[in-house]
Amino acid sequence: MENIVEFKNVTKRFKDFSLENINLQIKQGYVTGFVGANGAGKSTTMKLMMNLLQADAGEVKIFGMNYAGNEKEIKERMGFVYDSNVFYESLNLKDIRRIIAPAYKNWDDKTFYHYIKIFELPLNKAIKTFSKGMQMKASLAMALSHDAEFIMMDEPTAGLDPVFRRELLDILQDIMENGRRTLFFSTHITSDLERIADYITFIQKGKILFNDSMEDVQNRYALVKGSIDLLNRDTEKLFIKTERSSYDFQALTNDVAEVKTLLGNRVVIEEATLEDIMFYAKGAKHQNV
Amino acid sequence: MTNLIRRDLIIQKFQLYLFIPCILFFIFAGSHMSAFFIFVFAGFFIPINAYSYDEKAETNILLNSLPYTRTQIIASRYIGAIFYMAVSIIITTALFYVFNRPFTWADIAIGAGITLTLFSFSFPLFYLLKPGNIGTAVTIGFILFVVLSGPAVIFFEEYLTPVVDFLVSVSSSAIYLSSAGIVTALYAASWIISQIIYQRKTF
Repeated sequence: MENIVEFKNVTKRFKDFSLENINLQIKQGYVTGFVGANGAGKSTTMKLMMNLLQADAGEVKIFGMNYAGNEKEIKERMGFVYDSNVFYESLNLKDIRRIIAPAYKNWDDKTFYHYIKIFELPLNKAIKTFSKGMQMKASLAMALSHDAEFIMMDEPTAGLDPVFRRELLDILQDIMENGRRTLFFSTHITSDLERIADYITFIQKGKILFNDSMEDVQNRYALVKGSIDLLNRDTEKLFIKTERSSYDFQALTNDVAEVKTLLGNRVVIEEATLEDIMFYAKGAKHQNV
Repeated sequence: MTNLIRRDLIIQKFQLYLFIPCILFFIFAGSHMSAFFIFVFAGFFIPINAYSYDEKAETNILLNSLPYTRTQIIASRYIGAIFYMAVSIIITTALFYVFNRPFTWADIAIGAGITLTLFSFSFPLFYLLKPGNIGTAVTIGFILFVVLSGPAVIFFEEYLTPVVDFLVSVSSSAIYLSSAGIVTALYAASWIISQIIYQRKTF
């Protein structure tokens, strides 16, 4: 399986924040969800991916190429949806098409108008009158019109109403159908990912906690509930983080198999959602996860 | 690259309707103004207005996400500025001609020279400044200009005679040629500086 994006020990430091030694692979033909709390480094990672920022150390490869010398070729094949509007606000979609279309060799007007129709976007209204959802659809239409192989979306579902969020997820599922496309999208609404993501990349405080298939994550992680008497130095090692009440505990584990052998049916094991993982991982030390 | 230059026209569609009325206003109301001043205004109008759109971080994110290199983005700015200045001056010349306002080739040459010098200083400065600070910079620049123009005039009055004497002693073609050389060097240097600044910029 080929990696569309590969980060090798990428480090980027800012005054008050840094990404340290990021290793990341995005698999071709799949949807990878990028989760993490606000300020965890999602946008910075995506900017490194688009070469809007340059890494201080390490290597960023897209389609197996470095940006140096291949910037145009990489960006020809990439689509982008940012969390804020990047199009000229006072222009309408027709004019924006006139600016963006000639930038791409692969641009196809037929596809563009097709998606404008499907997304029900007005061609003659200024972008500033668009809702967040419409702006997002406009960006997506642009990405699809030049047949981007890799589409990067930064928080596409944030600020959308639930009905539209579902609609968007359906659209994304549709565009993934031919298996040629790769989608990478960041969100902190984890339920969206449970619906469509094949892989999950989890970032926390500038570090990647895991980069695994959804199935793996679901098999490995679980919520464990039981009596507090069961907790001792050995059993606590199984948990990433433990929450105690006077009689019971509830904890997140990343080693379900081991929990089963050690504690068996003395505990209740429940499937952990991504949100559970996000919540429990927050207070945990990196090496435990 | 031509797409990037063409973009300047698309983004300021509405302001372009103001261009000709503005020039006409200067031609009729500014009969006391030197013709070269009107050429400077005309040449400056479109490129600087286009630049004001590029000030926004979002616009830079868009341009840098499209298949363009940073070198191309800067090149389009510098080549586009010359192109739009030339077109604007041609239109202005035509309007001068139609409305019988006298002007000389020297007015056009001086106008273009001053405009290019202004671009040379303003572009790198704009790329260097953080978005949102450009308005402040322009205001400060204007105040400095007003404050400094007084002493400058006094300075020139004092030394004008030797300067004029010197200029009279050399042929006018030599003056134009050397000015053209200086302006070209200035513009080229400005281009290189902007390029270095923009390469390092983060969005």
